[in-house]
Amino acid sequence: MKIVARLKTISEIEKLINLGVDVFLVDTPLAVKKIEDQVFSSLEAIKKTSKEIYLLANKMIHQEDLEELRKLLIIAKKHQINGIVVGDITAMIIAKELGIENKIIYQPGTMNTSSFDSEYFKEKSIKGITISKEITIEEIERFFTNKQIELSLIGHGYLDMFYSKRKLLTNYFIYKGIKRTLITDNYCFRLKEEIRDKSNYPIFEDYSGTHIFRDKALESFSEFKVLSKGIDVFFVERIFLTDEEYYEALAAYNNLEKAEAFLNKYGDNYNKGFYYQYTEKLKGDLNEN
Amino acid sequence: MKTELLAPAGNLEKAKIALFYGADAVYIGGKQFSLRARASNFDLSMIKELVDFAHGLKKNVYVTMNIVFHDDDILGLDEYLLELAKIKVDAIICSSMIVIERAKALTDLEIHLSTQFSVTNSVLADYFFTEGIKRVVLARELSLKEIEEIAKVCKPDLEVFVHGGMCVSYSGRCTLSNYTVLRDANRGGCAHTCRWLYDLYENDQKISNDFDYQMSSKDLEATEFVPELLKLNISSLKIEGRMKSIHYIATVVSAYRMLIDDYYNGAMRNLEFYQEEISKAENRQTSSGFFRGDTTIDQQLYNQRTEIPTKEFVGIVKRYDYNRKQVIIEQRNFFSVNDYLEIFTPNKTTYRFKVKKIFNEDLEELDAARHPLETIIIDLPIAVDKYSMIRRVKDE
Repeated sequence: MKIVARLKTISEIEKLINLGVDVFLVDTPLAVKKIEDQVFSSLEAIKKTSKEIYLLANKMIHQEDLEELRKLLIIAKKHQINGIVVGDITAMIIAKELGIENKIIYQPGTMNTSSFDSEYFKEKSIKGITISKEITIEEIERFFTNKQIELSLIGHGYLDMFYSKRKLLTNYFIYKGIKRTLITDNYCFRLKEEIRDKSNYPIFEDYSGTHIFRDKALESFSEFKVLSKGIDVFFVERIFLTDEEYYEALAAYNNLEKAEAFLNKYGDNYNKGFYYQYTEKLKGDLNEN
Repeated sequence: MKTELLAPAGNLEKAKIALFYGADAVYIGGKQFSLRARASNFDLSMIKELVDFAHGLKKNVYVTMNIVFHDDDILGLDEYLLELAKIKVDAIICSSMIVIERAKALTDLEIHLSTQFSVTNSVLADYFFTEGIKRVVLARELSLKEIEEIAKVCKPDLEVFVHGGMCVSYSGRCTLSNYTVLRDANRGGCAHTCRWLYDLYENDQKISNDFDYQMSSKDLEATEFVPELLKLNISSLKIEGRMKSIHYIATVVSAYRMLIDDYYNGAMRNLEFYQEEISKAENRQTSSGFFRGDTTIDQQLYNQRTEIPTKEFVGIVKRYDYNRKQVIIEQRNFFSVNDYLEIFTPNKTTYRFKVKKIFNEDLEELDAARHPLETIIIDLPIAVDKYSMIRRVKDE
């Protein structure tokens, strides 16, 4: 099972390799940040190693994004990127026109919930799919029995649970008449719900809209061996983690004996997500009029 | 081709009301595989009854199967699709690849792609057309300009939401409800967590007051944009709200029916007329959603703890007694002698009157109609159709 880490700076490439990272995930302008010159030059540094590069382009693609997406995919082709992680299958369609659909990893967050999805996307000749984040370990294992395509999973870190095109922080500050300069790309905002006041949900606004994350990060240390039976690519998410915590998490997946120490130090901030939690499908019938 | 007006229906009564009041088609949820699980969905015999009824009026019925399928949900899928084909439903609305593929393999059902898939560009719409999708329901995050750009170049029929509730998140991409209350938002269990009240913090500093951070959106009301959508030959204009009341459905459908017909007849009235009609049943604040582009505070709801239930809808006509010149109604909200009421009929006529006497089923005189669903009789000199709605209005 390959470990995917999100790259923050070129200077940490070697450190991440030493922590067992196999794939570097690089943000793109279509993901969460504006493009930096550093981004594509960093790819050359990685290519000098034997490690792989994935580009992340997980924005919902609107009509006005089509041209930018095409440009990005052309760059990915030119740089021989190993994988392009997308949230919208528009990227798959354009990649096919460019002959690089076999680099696409479809990671919509919620839609890949049945093992049939791997069958469907195998027919489309893409590289792989990322299993949705709201399903149980039992359901994940069912993907393994009908495995048709490279399977990936976001197995560690703060997972988002909401993506809105609305600028929900900016608008709120306008409504309140509060002048703020640092709203977009500010990682310090949290939501506390009226009844469940012990929960703090990170909320983050970027140029593509607003994202809300789980209050606890996901960890998969004790599931790692089971997952490795069918998961080919394991994403370790970085958002809201300090560099230190991120490195220690990677170290613990590289050597599971370190997991206990990691959890002793950070365990209060983690849970098992939906691995053992079944969600209720229907609330029954109410004859509402 | 004339643009279709598509209405929601949570049960058979609502479906018939929607069709009587001017919808060209209704969309319903089956007992299985449909979002809006609480919308008292239809079993197969009810779907058949509705399809026969609608086809008798030369109107259509679409069945939503728009949950995001897990492996557990697949049991019974083939049989269900075959039954829907046998019943001759006019289309299914779905978002999971497995439903699309099984429907194609087993049936000749027309397939519409649900807004759950959040289609936001023409490339994606065309992809699904080549995959056998006849109609794509566009994401509610699109501006009129974007809709226009897509409509000009894409191949499938397009359906656009014009009225009703809006997800704050891109549809199909939200798991707030899953995580907070273990109810699967994408399988009919959405707890509307985005409408709860929150406090906003930056690090440890509280910014909001008394949980006034809200994400709720105002409902969509797009009367202003309907003429442009009609010019673009959008195939279907959709009203949201399978859980809304019959009064709401009748009122909103009727208003959009008049608007569409007036446009085609070259006899548009002021927009305020249609908006005023809608306001007689609308109990939530409305806005233009994304039609003008990115949303602002005008599209958001702040300081709203609950919606205010409308009490103006007081009854529905069961029948008219020509001999006694009385209307027999089913009570839905309190009204009393001396109230002014307005009867609103499926053929768009209205009649206002003052209540002089109220009787119960045993012809005992009452001072007020107090009990929901009680049969009430009142004198009325003009005949009105079954399913006419009765509202309380202000004194004239």
